[in-house]
This record gives sequence, C-alpha cells and structure tokens, in this order.
Amino acid sequence: MGLGNYVRNIRETLGTIFEGMAITASHFVRKPYTIQYPDRMEIRVQDALPFRYRGLLDVDLEICTGCLACERACPIDCIVIDAEKDKTTKEMILKRFDIDLAKCMFCGLCSEPCPTGSIHHTPEFEGADFSLESLVRRYVKAPLVAYKPPKGPETDPDVAPILARGLRYLDEFASPGDPKARE
Amino acid sequence: MSTNAIDVDVLRETGAGLETEEMTLNMGPQHPSTHGVLRFVVKADGEVMRRAIPDIGYLHRSIEKIAEKVGYHGFMPYTDRVDYVSAMQCNQGWAMACEKLAGIEVPRRGEYCRVIACEFGRLASHLLSVGATGMDIGAVTPFTHAIREREYINDILEELCGARLTFNYMRIGGCAWDIPPGFVKRAFAYLDRFEPLIDEYNELISFNKIYVERLANVAPVSPQQAIAWNLVGPNLRGSGVRYDVRKDVPYSAYPEFEFDVPVGTGERGTLGDSYDRYMVRMREMKESCKILRQALAGLPAGPVVAKVARTFRPPAGHVYVRVEASRGDMGWFVVSDGTAFPARVHIRTGSFAAMAAIEEMSKGLMIADLVAVIATLDIVAPEVDR
Amino acid sequence: MQQFADSLLADGFLAGLPTPVGYVLVVAFFAFVLLNFIMLIAGVTSWLERRVWARIQSRVGPNRVGPQGVVQWLADGIKNILKEDIIPEAADKPLFKGAPYLAMIGFFGAWVCVPFGDGLIIADLNVGVLYITAVTGLVVVGILMAGWSSNNKWALLGGIRSAAQIVSYEIPAAIAINTVILLTGTLSMQGIIQAQGWAPWNWFLFDNPFTFVAFFLFFVALLAEGNRTPFDLPEAESELVAGAFTEYSGLRSLLFFLVEWGNLYIIGALCTTLFLGGWQVPAFTENAFLLGVAQVLTFFLKSYFLVFVTMWIRATLPRVRVDQLMSLCWKYLVPISFVNLLGAMLWVVAFPHGSIVMRVAMFLFGLAIVLYFFSRVASHLRRARPEMTWNPIS
Repeated sequence: MGLGNYVRNIRETLGTIFEGMAITASHFVRKPYTIQYPDRMEIRVQDALPFRYRGLLDVDLEICTGCLACERACPIDCIVIDAEKDKTTKEMILKRFDIDLAKCMFCGLCSEPCPTGSIHHTPEFEGADFSLESLVRRYVKAPLVAYKPPKGPETDPDVAPILARGLRYLDEFASPGDPKARE
Repeated sequence: MSTNAIDVDVLRETGAGLETEEMTLNMGPQHPSTHGVLRFVVKADGEVMRRAIPDIGYLHRSIEKIAEKVGYHGFMPYTDRVDYVSAMQCNQGWAMACEKLAGIEVPRRGEYCRVIACEFGRLASHLLSVGATGMDIGAVTPFTHAIREREYINDILEELCGARLTFNYMRIGGCAWDIPPGFVKRAFAYLDRFEPLIDEYNELISFNKIYVERLANVAPVSPQQAIAWNLVGPNLRGSGVRYDVRKDVPYSAYPEFEFDVPVGTGERGTLGDSYDRYMVRMREMKESCKILRQALAGLPAGPVVAKVARTFRPPAGHVYVRVEASRGDMGWFVVSDGTAFPARVHIRTGSFAAMAAIEEMSKGLMIADLVAVIATLDIVAPEVDR
Repeated sequence: MQQFADSLLADGFLAGLPTPVGYVLVVAFFAFVLLNFIMLIAGVTSWLERRVWARIQSRVGPNRVGPQGVVQWLADGIKNILKEDIIPEAADKPLFKGAPYLAMIGFFGAWVCVPFGDGLIIADLNVGVLYITAVTGLVVVGILMAGWSSNNKWALLGGIRSAAQIVSYEIPAAIAINTVILLTGTLSMQGIIQAQGWAPWNWFLFDNPFTFVAFFLFFVALLAEGNRTPFDLPEAESELVAGAFTEYSGLRSLLFFLVEWGNLYIIGALCTTLFLGGWQVPAFTENAFLLGVAQVLTFFLKSYFLVFVTMWIRATLPRVRVDQLMSLCWKYLVPISFVNLLGAMLWVVAFPHGSIVMRVAMFLFGLAIVLYFFSRVASHLRRARPEMTWNPIS
C-alpha cells in the first residue's frame, strides 16, 4: 500500500464520517415522524383511514340478498351461510351467517361480488381479543328474510342509507368496460 | 427440522504440534440478522469460514399446493404471501400467467395501473433491502430512515387498494380498483420528496468509508459464475450482466417507458462484489422513480379491468411467464387441465438460487461477511420456502 | 479522601476509633455514594442514548415512564432484576457467576481517580492516568470469562474479539496520553488539569497541532476500549446476538450493561481531563462553594458532551470487521501516534512554554471546522426540506 493510498484512505474516512455526522446532526432539528397511537393523537386512526381500507369485515343484514356469492368467493372458507328458499313464500330465509375473523385474510374477494355491498370491510382493525371463539362473528340472531332489491330506487327509509353506503363501497371497485376515467 | 438432517464431519488438523479443530456453529432459524427464518450450519476455523451450509424450509407453507384447491381467482391473495416484501409483482406474475392461458387482454389503463403499483412495490422492497443491509453491517439509522420512506409508500398504496402489505390489488384481466381522486397529485408530491432523500441516504451510508470497506471485495461473483449459479435481478446485474426482464422480455406497459438498467461496474472493489449489488439497488430506485413519473403523467383513459367470468376455466395447457420482481426474474409456471382449479403451479424465485449460491460464495469469508453476503443478495425467507 | 478521613478521625465524627476502622468506614461511605452516583449516571445515560438515537432516527424514543421517560431506566432495571436467573447447564458456574463482578470491579476502580472538581477526588494518585488505564484492563478479563464460561461458541467468539480489540487499542491510547504528559510532567489527574486554563485556547486540545491529532486518536482508541460502535464487534447484535453476554439474564446482564454505559462517562472524563481543561472555570466569585459548584458542573457538562458525541457516533456509523479493526489499530493508529509523539517532543523542545500564537491559531482552526460543520448541516436541511422543530423533546 503506497503512501498515496494511505493518505487517501485517511482522508476519505475522515471526510465521509464528517458528512455522515452532519446528516445525523441535521436530524436533531427535524420533527420526528412518530404517531403516538393510541392516546396522544388528535383524531382516531380509524377516522383517518381511506374509504377502501380493508379492515375487519362487517355485514349489513338489512341488505343481504342471500346469494352466497361471498361464500363462494372466499378462498379460505371463513364465511358460512345457511340460506334456503322457503317453499311457500318463495323468499330466501337466512338462518346463519358466520364469519370467522380468525381465518379471514382481509383480501376483499368477498365484498367484490356482493350485489348490494352488504358484506364490506370497515376501517376497524382493533379486533384483538383473549378468546378465539369471540372472533367468530355470528350475524343472524333469528332467521330472517333476505333482502330483495326493488326495481326502482329503494323506498324504505331505514334501508335506503344502508343501501346507499353499500353501493358506494361497491363503486370503489373497478368494473370491466367502464369508460369512466378518473384523472 | 432435525439437527441430524445435516451431516457435518469435523475436520481435524494437526500441524506444528498444535491440534486445531473446525468449529461448527449454528446460525439458527432465530437470528437477528437472517432475513426471515433461515438457518446456516457454519464450519469455521476461528473467524474464517470453510463452509456455510444453508438449511431451508422453515417458512414453507405449501402455497403452490394451495393453488390447486382455491382456484384461479382465489389464489390471488396467496400470491401476496409468496414475497410479502414486494407483493405487487407477485400479483402481476399470477395475473399474467392466467391471462396468457386464457388469451385475455388487459386494457391499457389497467396496464399502467399495474406498472405504477409494481414500481411503488419495487421502491418499497429496495428500501427495506438497503435498510436491512445497513442494519446488518451495524448502522442502525439508515434502516429507520428507509422504513420511514417505506411507510409513506405504504400509505400511498393503502389509498390505492386498502392494504399495506398484502395488497391483492390485481385481478385476472386487470386491476381491482381504479386510481382514486387526488392520488396522482399525492404520488408526485411523494416522488418530489423522495428523490433528494436517496442522495441523502447515499451520503449517510453508501459512500461511508467504513461501509465501503465492509462490502467491497466481499464475495465477488464474476458474470459467468452469476449466470451459471442462476442468479437474477440485482444480483445478476451487480455482476455486470445487463439482463432485465422489463427490457429483454418486455411485458405489460414497460415498452412505453424510458429507463436505464443500472449495472455493477466494480467501482469500489471487484466487479460483482457485495458493494456492486448494493449500489445497483440504490440506482434502481432512481430508475423506478423515473418510470413512475412517466406512468403517472401519461395515464390513459378507459377501464382498468377486462371482463372475466366469475368461474375462470382456462383451456388446458401450460404457460411460463416471467416478471421482473424486486429480487429478480420471477417465473410462474401454471399447468391447467381445463377445470376451474389449476393442475400445478410452480413459482421460480430469485432468492432460492441465491440461497444455494451462498455455499459457494462463502468459502474463505469471515463470519461477519456472511451476514453482509446474505443481506446484499437480498434473500427473503418467504421466497426461498414458499 | 485521605485528608478528609484523617480530619474526621482526629477531632470529627469518628474520633476515638482505631485508625483502620475509621478508614474502612470512610472508604465504605464514599464507595456507597460513588456507586449510587455511577448507577444513576449509567441509567440516565441509557435513557438519553435511546432518546438521542430516536431523534436521529426520526422517531421519539421512550417518553412515557415518568416525565419524558426519565425513569425508563429504573423500570428496565427493576424488570431485569426480577427476571429468572438462567445459567446454562454446561456452563462453568464459578466463572459464569464471577465474570460480571470482575468487570464491575475493573470499571469501578477507575472512578477513584476521576476529578470532579478542585479537591473533589477520591484519591489523587500521582500516577492517576496510568492507574485508570491499568485498572480498566480488568474489564477485559471479565468479558473473556463471560465468553468462555457461557459454553457457547458465539459468546466465545465475542469474548475473544473483545480481548484482542481492547488489548490492541491500549497502545494508541497510551501513546496519546504520553503526548499530553509531555506538556505537564505529571501523571496526576489534578496536576494535568491545573496545567491547563479555563479559556479554550489554554486547553491542551488547542496547544499545538500534535495534541489536536492526539485528541482524536485518543477518542477513537477509547471508543474501541469501551466496545462502542464503530468497534462494537464483541456485541455485534446482528451477528452474535449479544456477543459475550448472550447467555446472561437478569441482574448479571444488567451489570454488564451498566459497565458499558458507565464506561462512556469514564471516556468523557478522561478526555476532558487530558484535553479539554477539566474543571477549570474563570475565578468569577470569591465564594468557594459557588466556585466549587461551577467547577463540578463544568466538568460534568464537558464529559457529558463527549458522552453525547459517543452516542451520536454510534447512531451514525456501521461497525468494522475484526481484521479491519486490527489493521486500523496497527497500521494506522499506532504509526500515526508514534509520529505524533515525536512531533510533540520536538515541539516541547522548541517551545518549552508553548506558544500563544499557535494556541490561538489552533483554536480558530477548531472553530472553523465547527462552523463548516454547521454549514454542511444547513445544506442537508435545505436539500431535504423536512418539517423542522427546535424542540428537543417533542
């Protein structure tokens, strides 16, 4: 190793360490990026998340049509629905709608084929609990008649806002052949 | 994994009246610096290694077998888990394979959205890689800076598709969600913020003399060796071979963009040493920013997804599709037998070959260098084991 | 301390007791006070290190346990003490148990000669500096014992690396010390400080270019002695988990960590004594007590600033490899320190009382470096344009 190399090594070492320390020193006056969740925040995290956020699943039974599209689409078999057509009234009766959140991988494949947006992801992500059984959400308390979407706009004032929200959620998904261009 | 699975014979040397023995060390599945659960059985003579034998399988989840059960649409979320550090490109690989099987064409806007998503994924993955390399070498600050930038990218992608790590953004025939309002503005603002930070990162750590000394001349891989050992991606380009699937086997919308393919030149040591591989990743981040700017500015109008049946039944046949994932050429081999479930899916990942090459590369290195080699080869356990 | 003990035995608190008993009592008392002080310093240093690191890394660090998290170290300490005491079955038990205490003894013994103020020193040995260098060598024995007795190959590697490192870096440290001793003629800590003045150009740091270089050599060598980055291979987290201390849990591991953090203060204290003027303050008041307080505060602040610089370096630099560490010591530090020593010898022959011109010139040179540093910081901030805050505890 010649003298030139030797001196150059020393100079490079000192120079690069000096620059590195200048950069880290500049960080002393930069604002930290930490968000001190959950108690030192101005707004709840759940309110700051985008509308498309795939948090815990929720089902609006008022607008569930009992089509079983979500059960078929789920790749991990975490949705179990018992729905049968009543022979006399020709209505779909929902007896059971269970979602096992412990199995769910939050992929969103169930909410895409839903015709009304009944099953959807919420911005909730704080679902940790001490017992595994509590993660199985059972939505049907007593057998009920499934929803039948009307031909025109929905007139029932209780169901209309829920349907509007569900359709807005579905609107976020892209549909084939839709020429609607957003910027 | 049993410890008896690996047969190690210990070498005893007797010379000059001093009997020395090789040490057999276990760099076990739980280790602060192996990237994921990897295990190495290291036979070392003091600090110098004789052999580093990899032991894989700790993260095997039978993903390829699961494909045969869940069908084509249902497999898309599983592809995220094949390489969860850069999940978008895995989504694209699977989608392209299915589209090629069934002859589906993706609308142009869908291709642009895919490119944007993949390049953001590449940025995120490279940030994690260079940060982890810095941390393994001992500098803890660059890691946190890289993760801070990665969090910003996660926020952007969360706006796009609702998740931060396992995106499930693409579908067979296009993408699941269109670009939300305000996204392009925010993405440009982020790129304006990010590009000077790459220079700052370089000045903090990449050009630091101690760091250069740790990485230069460590495990040089000549171009012929790199090709022979099946290395791909930045590992191959670090050895001087200019091969990038985006340029050589172009797919999606990449032919419409102008970007360079950075290649290692042995600037601080030998050609193909760890420093070259590391710097190729830093430069690729700049190129990704270039692609992103062009894609975001030139987004065409139209739909993002083509019409595909709910039960996807491609005709019988097989297809092999390659994408340029962050860790290199990722190959997707899908065999269809005409039913709704694939007959066989195989994923060829860059980390698997790199893991095998470590045993050859690590002869004569010091144990501290083994960590540097694993880090600069950018090996992630989920890709190795699937 | 000797005079204090004698005065107490003669007509003070301990009058009437036989001399050895009196000495033992006084020594025990001072040892107790010092031990508490060291534990406090080591603990608060660990908290400060985490806050400083966090700020450099754009995050916040511990800020919940107590106001701004100042009691975090106490919580961690209590947690460590309450942990299960695990000794590996095949470990060499006497050595395993004794290693932390040996390291503590080596570390604790160095505090005897640390000059907190004028007259505030436990024992002003006339070989003070040499004594400190010698007794901190016991820490090496402790680490080696820890590495060997753990029956863990990784720990052994860590222990041996540490021994090689500390032993090698004693040499540039000692030669750098000699460069300063040439100017004072005495090894006693108080004597060295009294040979300096309170003004920066009267510090040995700016005395002549050779002591300037010697300061950096000394600082780097002491970093290596203290197992700090960039020389922290013995505890290289990403390779050896915790190096020589991998198998230790509970109180024993706490002792090792306290030794490491307390050592930082010794580094600061040594550098302050030798190069930065120690506790010297201008005689701004007649009140002896006030002057004493000012001296203690000055010494503490100067040492702690160097501790802060150590933490800052640790956050910035990666670690060097073993062979690079050795080559750095033997091929760079040792020859440079020898040449430096020769230069200093020639300087002392040429200017037996120093040269005020050179002192002021060196001081201005140091100031220029600091100003250039701040200009580089400003240019980085201009390029990155981040959100800024001047609040250090935000």
